[in-house]
Amino acid sequence: MSYELKIALRFLIKGKSQTIFILFGIALGVAVQIFLGNLITSLQVSLIDRTIGNSPHIVVTRQDDDISLMLNASPIDTVRGNYPSLVRNLENWQPAAETISTTKDVTVVSPALQGTAIIRSSGKTVPVQVKGIQLDKADLIYNISKRLTSGNPALEGNTIFIGTSLAKDLGISVNSGLNLLLPNGSIAHMIVGGIFDLQNEGSNSSLVIMDLARAQKLYGTASGITALEIQVKDPFAADAISANLLKTVPGVSIKNWKEQNGQLLIALTSQSSSSYTIQLFVIIAVTFGIASVLAVSVVQKSKQIGILKAMGATKKSAARIFIYEGFILGLLGAIAGSGLGILLLAGFGSANTTFALTVDPKSVLLIVFISVAAGTISALIPARNSSELNPMEAINNG
Amino acid sequence: MDSILLQGKGLIKDYGTVQKTRALFGIDIILKRGEFASLIGPSGCGKSTLLSILGTLDKPTEGQLFFNGLEINKMTEDELALFRNKSIGFVFQAHHLLPEFTALENVLIPSWIESGKADVKKKERAIELLNTVGLGDRMNNPANNLSGGQQQRVSIARALINEPDLILADEPTGNLDSEATEQAYALLRDINKMMGTAFLIVTHDRHIAEKSDRVIEMLDGKIQKDYQTASKEKEALWEELAPKNCKYCYGSKI
Repeated sequence: MSYELKIALRFLIKGKSQTIFILFGIALGVAVQIFLGNLITSLQVSLIDRTIGNSPHIVVTRQDDDISLMLNASPIDTVRGNYPSLVRNLENWQPAAETISTTKDVTVVSPALQGTAIIRSSGKTVPVQVKGIQLDKADLIYNISKRLTSGNPALEGNTIFIGTSLAKDLGISVNSGLNLLLPNGSIAHMIVGGIFDLQNEGSNSSLVIMDLARAQKLYGTASGITALEIQVKDPFAADAISANLLKTVPGVSIKNWKEQNGQLLIALTSQSSSSYTIQLFVIIAVTFGIASVLAVSVVQKSKQIGILKAMGATKKSAARIFIYEGFILGLLGAIAGSGLGILLLAGFGSANTTFALTVDPKSVLLIVFISVAAGTISALIPARNSSELNPMEAINNG
Repeated sequence: MDSILLQGKGLIKDYGTVQKTRALFGIDIILKRGEFASLIGPSGCGKSTLLSILGTLDKPTEGQLFFNGLEINKMTEDELALFRNKSIGFVFQAHHLLPEFTALENVLIPSWIESGKADVKKKERAIELLNTVGLGDRMNNPANNLSGGQQQRVSIARALINEPDLILADEPTGNLDSEATEQAYALLRDINKMMGTAFLIVTHDRHIAEKSDRVIEMLDGKIQKDYQTASKEKEALWEELAPKNCKYCYGSKI
């Protein structure tokens, strides 16, 4: 051990109350940073997860807008009411899906065919949205199979899934039959294979899920679909990825969740920046705290430093003692503060059930690192004072 | 024994930048190897200033300083620190131990500084020195648990750990009672004889001055007299030393 380190340690140990006070201060600062940082991050993760966790991040559809579709819709059977649902087909989508799924950071590509229908069952008539999917792929986005409250996670033939609210409204359960009145006037008899709860009232009360092939047949789209639903690795990169896709998959409309959730994004950003601001000021306060304690310590120990210099300690050594002190204070304070912060998080997490509170080890390490750096940097000025100390004056005034 | 250890040539020291006060007026001084010399004079005559310049704790405004023939007043601060560590031991009036450390650790500190590491390479020598100063049984006591006389003896052991050629002592007995003074003097004298270490002692104590080999008397920043004690009769010497220079026997500096 270098002798400067030994002296620094001894100064800290013998300066008991002073050392404990500043350590407590640093630990509190670090704890607040860890608590606040992880609280905000967890909150945001849960918010984002709720918003887009079980929905596509990017949706690829045909480029045409609704109005031009309506104007151009000539075959009479493609337009019922005012909704040209069946015209918006992506006809030759497989090559595009292939391209997209091999794109970097794209995790899921799921084809979907959406249409409207009316359910007739036991005297009731309910308008619904029909969605044809490939269950294995759609599961990766919506996790439907796991969210079935009853029935089997298998979609084929005439099997459909309906939501819990819709099942309740209609008073039907698994294996019941019902009739779907389609826009072209035909009626299809379907069997309820499963009842899902997607934790979304709109879906639970008016969504009917069936196999893609079946939907294509019912709506007469041949191999066409209405959308490719995409999830990506990092939801926040969705805009960049969709911009990329526009180049590789021409002639389609590509929308990402960020375009549709501007308000949420602004809220998240301002939340993050207020959290960063608080953390910044906490670290500044900690730095000044350490600096002032060390500055006082240099004055208190000036006699000792004078003696050490008289005995041959160089300016560098005299400075190093206080750099070590700052480093040790920062490190010990950060370790104690991490423990305290994680304890606070655990306490808060057990009291709070609305969202999952997770501790990000990387953020803890970063805060520990910043605190050690702050401790060392805050020691620079006191260390300089120590190195400039005139031994003769220090000895005579001590 | 006659070779020159330390030589100061034309040492001048001014204090202040606007209103300059001259503390030393061109001092020429030679200290020989193994010499035991006292530096006396009334308070404020420049004794301590001269001592700190000779010990390189302070820089002269003008003049040259040679140690073993090497001109040391041109060295950088860090070179001087290294030089002090190896060649000079200091004993101060207020003994100045580091209260955070034990007696043994205090003695070892100059060796730590020398090697850069807080190891115990010189532990045996430190214990031997503490035994020499009669504190072998107190070596693990915290420094501030020792009496004034004991602390002074620890600081003498500390000054010796790196086997310096010269020990500079600034009123080493100033804070001690007459018995402790006598013990401290005897100790310094023993070390001087045993190890051949040269001593320059600033003192107000005529008893110490009387027993030195040589007395250097200062007045108003100049060397007034410089003589070997053996050259004078005992009574004449006593007269010579008192009372103007040593009126603060056993007292602290005013």
